[in-house]
Amino acid sequence: MKATQQTTYRMLNTRLGDMSLQLEKLRSMGASGKKLTVASDDPTAVRPVLNTRKQLSNVDRYLETLGRAADTMGAADTQLGQVENIMQRAKEIMTGAGNGTLSPADRTVLADELAQLRDQLIDTANTSVNGRFLFAGYQENIKPFAANPAYDPATYDPANSATWPVSYQGDGNVTRLEIGTGQTEQVSLAGSDLFLGVRGWDPAGTNSVDSGRFDLFAELARAEEAVRAGDPAAMQQSLTDLEGAADQNRQLRAQLGVRASRVETAMDDQEGLKIDLKAILSRYEDADAIEVFNDILQQETAFQAALSVTGRVSELSILDYL
Amino acid sequence: MTSLLNALNAGKTSLLTNQKAIEIVGNNIANVNTEGYSRQNAELSPVPAVNFNDFFIGQGVTVANVSRDYNLFITRQLQAKTIDYGAEAGRSDALTELERVFNVTENNLAGSIDRFFDAWQELSTNPGGAVERDMVLQRGEQLGDAFRAITGELDLVAQHLNEEISAGVVSLNEQLTTLADLNQRINLVEISGQTANSARDQRDLLVRELSETLGVQTYTDNRGMLAVQLPGGIPLVQGDRAMTLTALTTGADVQLQVQVGGRAVEVTQANLGGRFQGMFEMRDSFIDGLRGDLDTLAADLAAAVNTEHAKGYAPDGSTGLNFFADLGGITTNQARHLQVALTDGAQIAAAGQPAAAPGDNENALRIAALEVNHTVGTSSDTFDTFFSQLVATVGIEAARNDLALTGARDATVQLQNLRDGFSGVSLEEEMIDLIQYQRGFESSAKFLSTVDEMMNAILQLRG
Repeated sequence: MKATQQTTYRMLNTRLGDMSLQLEKLRSMGASGKKLTVASDDPTAVRPVLNTRKQLSNVDRYLETLGRAADTMGAADTQLGQVENIMQRAKEIMTGAGNGTLSPADRTVLADELAQLRDQLIDTANTSVNGRFLFAGYQENIKPFAANPAYDPATYDPANSATWPVSYQGDGNVTRLEIGTGQTEQVSLAGSDLFLGVRGWDPAGTNSVDSGRFDLFAELARAEEAVRAGDPAAMQQSLTDLEGAADQNRQLRAQLGVRASRVETAMDDQEGLKIDLKAILSRYEDADAIEVFNDILQQETAFQAALSVTGRVSELSILDYL
Repeated sequence: MTSLLNALNAGKTSLLTNQKAIEIVGNNIANVNTEGYSRQNAELSPVPAVNFNDFFIGQGVTVANVSRDYNLFITRQLQAKTIDYGAEAGRSDALTELERVFNVTENNLAGSIDRFFDAWQELSTNPGGAVERDMVLQRGEQLGDAFRAITGELDLVAQHLNEEISAGVVSLNEQLTTLADLNQRINLVEISGQTANSARDQRDLLVRELSETLGVQTYTDNRGMLAVQLPGGIPLVQGDRAMTLTALTTGADVQLQVQVGGRAVEVTQANLGGRFQGMFEMRDSFIDGLRGDLDTLAADLAAAVNTEHAKGYAPDGSTGLNFFADLGGITTNQARHLQVALTDGAQIAAAGQPAAAPGDNENALRIAALEVNHTVGTSSDTFDTFFSQLVATVGIEAARNDLALTGARDATVQLQNLRDGFSGVSLEEEMIDLIQYQRGFESSAKFLSTVDEMMNAILQLRG
């Protein structure tokens, strides 16, 4: 066994090749800041990295959806506040009208105001945001509420929607949006439920007001009629019904508020999740800068040593001694 | 007188022998960097002694043989390790390519799948929006393009392998012919009792190269010729006859055949070793497996989206339509055929109720949920994790190959050093030999001049 010129140079060549390759890898790691650039760098990290990345993109999408949901709910809440004011004013009028000292002319004024309140309520119910009607169910491109020209107080029947003072063109659906993985939240209220007291509106058939609930438009119309007629018993009944109708609105508004706060919490959750996911992603694919620079320094020192050894090999030759 | 003439003759043989030895040293020095060269050695032996008055007196020296430093064990081991190295090296190029195709950046297929379902999620927030609908169509097209791109890349890698195989066959045939020629030459030289050192070196080197590319096995036949065969036993060189390898293009792939006695024998992956085996395995097993998995993914994704989509209702009144072109009838290359079947955004069935009201997002939500709910085939993977599994498979194989290649390379380097340590030329050794033979030469010259003086003295006796 002996060391020949070929073995020496082959050994040096392989070592230098290995070291420069290693150095190259470290340098690329330092320059890109990533320790995972190809799958073979760490095959076990591939799945978590891709999965985390998908989750991150989903979180961004959920945040956007949540933002939209919050906008829609905010707009709906404003309108429901408006409805509350209208109902409040109507109750005040009815309380005033119950006072027996009013003249027929005074009552007409009050009745006219009630008629106006009803128009105002129709406008509120027809609110649209970005061209989409808030309270139309899925039929968001059709103006949902319109005064029913065929309305006749004498034939009014809560069990027959065709006889109601205001007709509804929308449907009874509520919009649900995905606000988290496999988690949906109701973000809208159906106009039929809110203003007409009908859950599960059937656009094609005849609908009737759910028992114990109220058609807000009909209550306003009936109040107006009672005031015009000066019927104290009817006025008293109307006042009770308006109270119930206002309660119905408040109740739904409160439900909307609860959902809105859930959306807000979900937003916070997703923001928190985003930070966590980024941390996870970073742990898998980002290089530790200090460690990398230390490694580079170490490797460079070793490389320098190998280079100087290579240089010395050629200095030593038997030929110089013969 | 006889003794003086004998002495002259002995001096002459010594001069010639030392000169010959120096020539051999010179040849060794000349071949110090020749790959596969084994150091040659002059084997000196005395010229048979002659009986002279009952004394046996030597008649000088002669080069009995020129031998080479050779160790069969190391050579065999080197050959075996070279086969391992070749097999890994044959995989390595393709794997580097595959790692680029199945990358871990955001622009891989998983990203396209994410973006496709993201578009559905966006549509669910505004199901009546024309822009959102167009976006879904566009992302669907992009997903199809991404599948086509990745299968196209796989085809390209396979094609590169095919080209390398075809190109390799030409030089392989040349090597086989040379090896057969060398067999013949060695036989001719050695039949006269000499050793064909350099021809044997050359043949060893060729066998090593053939081991790396084909993983050949060798044995020496009864005439001292080296028989070369593939691992499966298909002969490549028999005596002084070399078979011909041919690369045959069948379908998209290149297959190998050996012409044995006018008969074409198919070379399968099992019959191969070394680099070619690595390349065949990559092409026929690994890349084919990836392609199959991509097809499964594409077919499953199309079927899952189509099933949900057909349940929904579109604003143009249509229902039961497929979102992607139906892949049910296609059994191969489904990934290449993934295409959006719908032509208009209004055909997208985002609604879950027959009225297909513009605010109805029920079906869009269901399709968007496929991203996390649906499992591909019989696995428990979502579309996304199914793909990341493929990336991980490539990564694991590439990492394993990297490790094995480094290991095999280190082993061959070590064995080559071992071989060179035994058979290689060391300049120090040669220099010392040079001095040794030079001194021998000088001494014989001195001896001859002494004999010459002696003869002169004798000749002057008469005068």
